[in-house]
Amino acid sequence: MKKILIIEDDSSIRIELKELLNNSGYETIILTDFQNALDNILNIKADLILLDINIPYLNGEILLQNIRKFSNIPVIMVTSRNTEIDEVISMSYGADDYITKPYNPNILLLRISAVLKRAVKKEDTYSYRDLEINMNKGIIKGNNIEIILTKNEMIIFNYLLNNRNKIVTRDELMTDLWNNDEYINDNALSVNISRLRAKLKEAGYEDAIITRKGIGYILS
Amino acid sequence: MKFTYYIKDKILNIIMYFIMILLIMMMLIAFKTPISLIIWILITIFVFDIAIILTDFYRKKAFYNSLLSNISLLDKAYLVLETIKKPDFYEGEILYQALYEINKSICENIKDYEMQLNAFKEYIEMWIHEVKIPLSSLVLISHNHKEKSILEQIKRIEAYVEQVLYYVRGENAEKDYLINEVSLKKVINNVAIKNKDEILANKIDFLVDNINTKVYTDSKWLEFIINQIISNSIKYQNKKTKSIIKISTYEKDAKIILEIYDNGIGISASDLPQVFDKTFTGLNGRSNAKSTGMGLFIAKKLCEKLGHKIEIESKKNQFTKVIITFSKNKFYEVVK
Repeated sequence: MKKILIIEDDSSIRIELKELLNNSGYETIILTDFQNALDNILNIKADLILLDINIPYLNGEILLQNIRKFSNIPVIMVTSRNTEIDEVISMSYGADDYITKPYNPNILLLRISAVLKRAVKKEDTYSYRDLEINMNKGIIKGNNIEIILTKNEMIIFNYLLNNRNKIVTRDELMTDLWNNDEYINDNALSVNISRLRAKLKEAGYEDAIITRKGIGYILS
Repeated sequence: MKFTYYIKDKILNIIMYFIMILLIMMMLIAFKTPISLIIWILITIFVFDIAIILTDFYRKKAFYNSLLSNISLLDKAYLVLETIKKPDFYEGEILYQALYEINKSICENIKDYEMQLNAFKEYIEMWIHEVKIPLSSLVLISHNHKEKSILEQIKRIEAYVEQVLYYVRGENAEKDYLINEVSLKKVINNVAIKNKDEILANKIDFLVDNINTKVYTDSKWLEFIINQIISNSIKYQNKKTKSIIKISTYEKDAKIILEIYDNGIGISASDLPQVFDKTFTGLNGRSNAKSTGMGLFIAKKLCEKLGHKIEIESKKNQFTKVIITFSKNKFYEVVK
């Protein structure tokens, strides 16, 4: 389980953020002692830091600079100041991403998983049961069979695969598609999912995607 | 300053003067002064009087004319005193002194208001950053508890808060923006995601075409501008047809053109010239309680600051097309 460190001075946001991240399968740690922030942060050894710019005792940007002297841990800066200049400064201090309040929770989760993925530098092949999936080429390889997926189908399959055995809502899938510049509508999403189903059936897994009516889908 | 008016102004003096000459003539005749002496006296008086009048006229004319013409040339007329020479005649000096005092008091007052306004703007900016914290908290709470209807309302509040922020920024500041090479695709993506729920809920098809373009702008400002346009497209959708919003770019005369098209209810020809005016809501706005008439006004203002051109074409009940023109600035390419 990936460990995410939350550095945020608003207690209500902290609690809700923790719940959001826990629900999405992350372990969370909340930093409460801002006075010895740097030592604590380095001791926790998290996989990713969500760092608010406005924290007491310390400026988030300076804290980030200090963290970078010792560690390459992925950092996403969170702020309510949304000027171009703030963003440029944060990125130049070594932030991996930058997101402004109030953020769309699904987008935050996508950004987190993107940054984590980048940090691990996984190969672009994954596996599902005995199928081999090449994400970049959009190809599923099985026993004597090769199936080509469209970009949309690949995005959907990738998301389901990353959240395997968990319920994925239509909204989450939609957010991921839109986030990848595929601005499709509800009907198109349904069509894409049934096409993906048909292709998985071809590969021998008819029951791969299960529909939970009114909630979403599960890749079993 | 016209000579005829000047003479008219002095008419009383002139009449009294002629009466005086008439009386002197009568006295001279009564004392049997030789006629040739009288003529010489008359010539002397007239020559000198005309000289006096003319020198007086031209001195004043030089001062007042430069005063008047400078006032009409300046865009801040109250600063005219800085541009004229101090007059060398008494009345002019009084006027000059009075103008000086007036000018000083105006400048002090303006300074005062400027300071108050700036303090207010700073406070608004700070307030907006502060109010975003409970807003973020609310967004997370409603997401965690799956309260979609609340989320919609929070988004509306957020949009209005954002509008105030950019209104203040557009009025203010040279310091607030940063021109950079910006990917239009990225900006459009941010706007699309921001409006995703409404676009899907209203069954609008969101189409993009050839948006893989880079322009020189401030990405945050542009995002706000496009967001205003898209939210208008959503707000004024035509429910009778299959709604679409289409964003595309193309190049024309070494400029990059961004087109945002929708097949919504459009804008009537009489309203069209005023859509960028402050608080103008027009026919559509009056039938839609959500209109404040600020969105496009602020968008235009920001475009002006960034050096982009923004135009609207529309046909009632058919379409609305917003066109933003970015110049391909050679300067940036050299610097880059």
